[in-house]
Amino acid sequence: MSAAVLVGDVVVVLFGVFLCVGPLVTRPNLQFGLRVPPEHAKAPVVRRERRAYQWRSILIALVALAVLIALGGHTPRWPSRLILVIEVAADLGCFWWAHQQIAKVKSAEGWFAGRRQTVVADTSWRSEPEAFPAGWLLPAVAVIVATVIVGILRYPHLPTYLTRGDQRVVTSPASAFAVVVGQLYVTGLWTGLLVLVYRSRPDLDTADPAASLRSYRKALGAFGRAGLILLACVDASVLLFALQLWRVLHLSGDANLLVGLPAVTGLVGFLLTVVSAGRARARTLVGAQATDRDDDRYWKGGIVYVNLDDPTVLVGARVTFGWTVNLGNPIAWLLVVGLLAIPVGLVVVRLAIGI
Amino acid sequence: MLLSIEPDGSVPIYQQIRDRIVEAIAAGEAPVGSGLPATRQLGVDLGINFHTVNKGYDLLRQEGLLRIGRKAGAVVQRDATSGPPRPGWEEDWTGRLRTMLAEATAQGLAAEEIIGHCEEIIAGFVPVTKDGPAVGEAS
Repeated sequence: MSAAVLVGDVVVVLFGVFLCVGPLVTRPNLQFGLRVPPEHAKAPVVRRERRAYQWRSILIALVALAVLIALGGHTPRWPSRLILVIEVAADLGCFWWAHQQIAKVKSAEGWFAGRRQTVVADTSWRSEPEAFPAGWLLPAVAVIVATVIVGILRYPHLPTYLTRGDQRVVTSPASAFAVVVGQLYVTGLWTGLLVLVYRSRPDLDTADPAASLRSYRKALGAFGRAGLILLACVDASVLLFALQLWRVLHLSGDANLLVGLPAVTGLVGFLLTVVSAGRARARTLVGAQATDRDDDRYWKGGIVYVNLDDPTVLVGARVTFGWTVNLGNPIAWLLVVGLLAIPVGLVVVRLAIGI
Repeated sequence: MLLSIEPDGSVPIYQQIRDRIVEAIAAGEAPVGSGLPATRQLGVDLGINFHTVNKGYDLLRQEGLLRIGRKAGAVVQRDATSGPPRPGWEEDWTGRLRTMLAEATAQGLAAEEIIGHCEEIIAGFVPVTKDGPAVGEAS
């Protein structure tokens, strides 16, 4: 088993657990992507579907784990990727089913009929914006600087060929320093997305917008810090990989798995933070005087947001604590296409220069 | 300052934005010199087109409550401490008040009840003085 396969297997297990918990830790006025008035947050259909989702997702996670164990230390990387895709698709299916069941009752009983529906903005969010935790970017930068220094020191002593797994490539600045490009790419992209997230609008509950904004600021701070620590951990895994590539570190057998350890640790910490931030937001008091707007018509399946009248690019996701793009905004499409185009472009460049 | 609007309500959104800001100025939440969010930012935060926000701000500018500069953005230009209104404003306002009071009377509210409501609402507006804390905090 290689480090990449271990990371793949761990990701399957982590996402299995995350998808069991994630959709259940939302604010009481959001259930399976549907806006729910406070007095219906514990309606029989909501309670039933929450319980059913829990059991179904636990079953899916156990089946995925059983398949991984049955495959035992498989060598190719594709089985864990395939299992991950099936697992996520199955959980999404269960989510969609619960969404449909609650939507039917909500519509039949007219949960929002005759209610005053408002949206609220707190101008202090713009006059005193939440500062981006730039200091927490330092560990990631330090890891990249360390990688560059080691690379420069080692480059004159590298052999004619570099061995990467089963591949052998001619040593050149491009092939030796591709790892640094990878670190810079991941760090730049993730930091850019986090900066966008810090500028996006908070989703405030109308019952107590001030308390809602305070809890949002806290959750956002925790998310930002955990995101930057995850970045440092991923960069550290790339550094360990580079140390092997440059023959500084010689890991054999199971010791190879150490390479994936920082990234996996960072991912566990990050997912735990997302769930705990979601739980903290879920505890936000939603009073009976809440006048939230029923904006379900813009949420396809409770997950995808499409609103042509809304100028925002990023909106708060309705599941756990996170963000999603407004596909009604052309800039959001540019962002999605850009995010997809860059990795594809990098693969093309890699093939073109043969590294 | 909290701005709460009803996107699907019968009152146009720009009118609601204008009304909420006037109320915030009267309540001392937006004293003279305090800045309002840029139209694009407020548009994003309320999930509405920024032209709609612009229209609301423009109404306030025409009423002399806002100053809109290229660099400073929208700034509150007057509040309760800025002295009496411009000539002619009071007649205009009395005309609108007349309609409001006529509505209440036609619906059967007694004069005392109407005055009681007026007193209650005015008591909710924090009196701001030139040396008051609300003005001091904003500068």
